[in-house]
Parts: sequence; structure tokens; C-alpha cells
Amino acid sequence: MIKIVNLNKSFNGKAVLENISVTFESGKTNLIIGRSGSGKTVLLKSIVGLHEIESGEIWYEDKLFNKLDFAGKKLIRSEMGMLFQGSALFDSLTVEQNVRFPLDMFTDKTTEEKIDRVNFCLKRVDILNANELFPSELSGGMKKRVAIARAIALNPKYLFCDEPNSGLDPITAILIDALIKELTEEYSMTTIINTHDMNSVMEIGENILFISQGIKCWEGNKNEILNSDCETLNDFVFANSLAKKLRAEKK
Amino acid sequence: MIKFLTQFGRYFMLLKKVFSKPEKLVIYYKQTLRELVYLGLNSVGIIAIISFFMGAVITLQTAYNTENPIYPKYLIGLGCRDSMILEFSSTIAALILAGKVGSNIASEIGTMRVTEQIDALEIMGVNSASYLILPKMIATLLFNPFLTIIAIIVGIFGGWIAGTFSGVMTSENFIYGIQYAFIPYYIVYSLIKTVFFAFIITSVSAFQGYFVEGGSLEVGRASTKAVVYSSVLILLFNVILTQLLLS
Repeated sequence: MIKIVNLNKSFNGKAVLENISVTFESGKTNLIIGRSGSGKTVLLKSIVGLHEIESGEIWYEDKLFNKLDFAGKKLIRSEMGMLFQGSALFDSLTVEQNVRFPLDMFTDKTTEEKIDRVNFCLKRVDILNANELFPSELSGGMKKRVAIARAIALNPKYLFCDEPNSGLDPITAILIDALIKELTEEYSMTTIINTHDMNSVMEIGENILFISQGIKCWEGNKNEILNSDCETLNDFVFANSLAKKLRAEKK
Repeated sequence: MIKFLTQFGRYFMLLKKVFSKPEKLVIYYKQTLRELVYLGLNSVGIIAIISFFMGAVITLQTAYNTENPIYPKYLIGLGCRDSMILEFSSTIAALILAGKVGSNIASEIGTMRVTEQIDALEIMGVNSASYLILPKMIATLLFNPFLTIIAIIVGIFGGWIAGTFSGVMTSENFIYGIQYAFIPYYIVYSLIKTVFFAFIITSVSAFQGYFVEGGSLEVGRASTKAVVYSSVLILLFNVILTQLLLS
């Protein structure tokens, strides 16, 4: 479980996140949604410690993450996996070396054990016969899958995904979403996903936080989101003309 | 002024991170070997080519400017040798390496920054500054002195070829000249400068790349800044080190 209490973050004096409080539960796919520039990525990067926050608390179980020293943070980070918007695979390493990297860095496993684990993770994300390929030789969907394989290589307790299906076609996007949900349930991870894709919201949104201009506007699940009273959320959810029309007809 | 001091502080904070205890020595060892090839071995060609022609030009220019019969011909060889050892092999070679290696380091690390690869390392709990910069630093500090030696040897060889084949002097005169009044300390002086310059090139270029914000345009700018700042600092430290080591 990850708990955020009154988180504030600003850049050059301009508030980007204001008094965000939310709890992300284990074994669930927690979604942070909002328009581009609403502060989703800043919130996610603040939660994982890539951004220093001005005030507030970030709890990982019973540990106050933002007050820990480097060694303490490093310990929690060893339990984190993250999927970045652009996959962030290491260009100079092959698929196998990318997935193996955290194992090389943080475990004392033998080479055979590491290769077994790499192959297991790649098989789990349906990447076969691509061990020797470089990231530049992969499609967008394959890159995301390899990045997920790398993120789960160390059996993380926490999985963070920044717009996991951006730039992907709708079918691949749904497959990636389904994969993340499966892995979350299988390993009982606390998963937080940043997205503005309504397909994802309706497919895997078990706990949804909607933020607008750095402020928490709404929290609920995918069954509640269509009947919300929050106008800003409704503008976001029913943004396209078809959704607007269906909503008007329903009313 | 405040901006300059801020950058100065960030530079030293980065160095502190670079020199903190590595996570796993064996990984750093492998990375260092890789960088020895990329940054060191791959620079041998350019250094050899430029040194050869610089040695040749120094010899010809010295010859055509000392046509007075009062000057013994072997002084041309001596001039070539001392120019190569004192200035070319360390300073000019360092300026060339600032262009080749410096821009390579800044653009590689800068691209890793804007494509979130550095964030990915941080999330894993890896000290990204140390993992990315320390092996490059060790590789250049170890290999650049060899490049200096290569530059000296190839440059003098270039001078000998140009001098003898153009007919401005005999081979005997040139060989006598390069042995005449030889001061071994000049080699030490040159190697000391090389080590300082290697540190400047790697640290300044890595600093420019590591703190890039934006996209490919900013990576390009960081790469240019890396070359310009490294070159200026090399020239500045050349004066300081020359005064300290030769006075």
C-alpha cells in the first residue's frame, strides 16, 4: 500500500500539485487520470522520489519514504519497478541484457539462474526469440513489453507505469493493460498507472484518481466514473463527440 | 554570477555522486573496459593521423623559417620533437579529444537523460552518475596518456618523413636533432597535463549531458557546450600547469 498525505509540489514557485491525498491499495490497478499537463507525471515521479516534494508525506507501508536517507530509499527502490512513457530501455544493451540488468546489479544469482529468470519474464510478457535484438529493432508494443519484463525481473512490490499505452494501437494498448492487470493480481503488487486513455480506465480502473490543474478532483472506480457529478471529470470522460451524444441521449 | 556559482556547485555535487561507492565492482569493471574501447582505442586513429601531419608541418615550417646557414639543420628535428612533446601531444590532442570524446559523452548521457533512461537507473536504486560517468573517467584517465605517447611518436615520425622526403634536411640531421639536449622531464610534464585534461574533458562533458532538460535540440546544445567549455578550461589549465610544472 502507498499512502500520500497532503502532497505539494511546485516548479520555480508555480504550484503543480496541491494538497494531494490518496491511498493506493495492493493487488489493485490504481489509475491516475487527467488531461495532459494536469500533473500526473509529476505526481508519479514525486511518489517514486524522482522529484523532491515541497511538503506532504509519501508512505510505503509503514515507511515515510520522503524522509528516508539515500540508503533507506534505495532499499524501497529495490522493490519498485517502473514502466516509462518511452519505455526507457537502455539503447546499448540487447533485450536480454536490459531485462538482466537489475539482476546483475542487485542479485548474486549465477549466470544460468539469471538467464532463466530473464527468459521467464520475457515469456510472461509474450516476447519470444528476441533476446539478442536491440531496442531500436523493436516495435513500440514490444518495447513496452520488454520494459515490463525488466520492471518485474526483481519481483517488485510496487509497479509504476507512466502512460503505458501511449503511441500504441487500441488492440495492443488493451493487451498491455490486460498484462499489467494480470501481473498486478498474480504478484499482489501495488500498481499505479498514469493514463489519459479512457479505454484503459474502463478496462482496468479499479481505483481511479482524477486530477486537474494539480488538484485532486475525484476518486472512485470504473463503475462510478460514468455517473459522477464532477463537471471537470465529465468533460474529460465525455470529451469525444460520440460520448457526448450518448450522454445527452441518456439524459 | 549566481547562475555561475549554482552551476559550479552542481558540478561538484555531481562529482561527489560520481565518486561515491560503486554498487557492484564487477559491473563497473566491465563498463570501464567497454569505455576503454569506445573512448580510448577508437581515438587512436584520429590522434595518429593528426599527429603525423602536425609533425610534418612543424618540420617543414621550421625548415623554411630557418634557412639561414648559421642555424644547424638538426635544430629542425629538435624543434619538431619539443613542439610535439611540450604542446601538441597533450594540449592540441586534448582539444581534438574534447571535440570527439567530449561531444560523444555529452550526447550519450544527454540522450539517456531525455529518454528517461537515467530515471530508469535511479528507480532501480542505481547511482546513475557513478554508473555512467565513473567508468568513462577511469577509461580516459588510463588511456589518454597512451594517446599522448602515440601522438609524440607518430608526430616525430611524420616530421622525419616530411623532412627527409622533401629534401629540407637529411635523416641523420633529424635523428641527431631529436636526441639533442633531450629533457626526459618534458615527457612527465606532458603526461601530467594529459591526465588533467582527460579529467576536464570527461567531467565537464558528462556534467553538460547529465543535466540536460528538454529534447534533441537541448542535447545538441549540451554537446556544443561540452566542447566549448572543455576547450576553454583546457587552455586555461594549460597556462596554469605550465607555470607550475616548468617554472
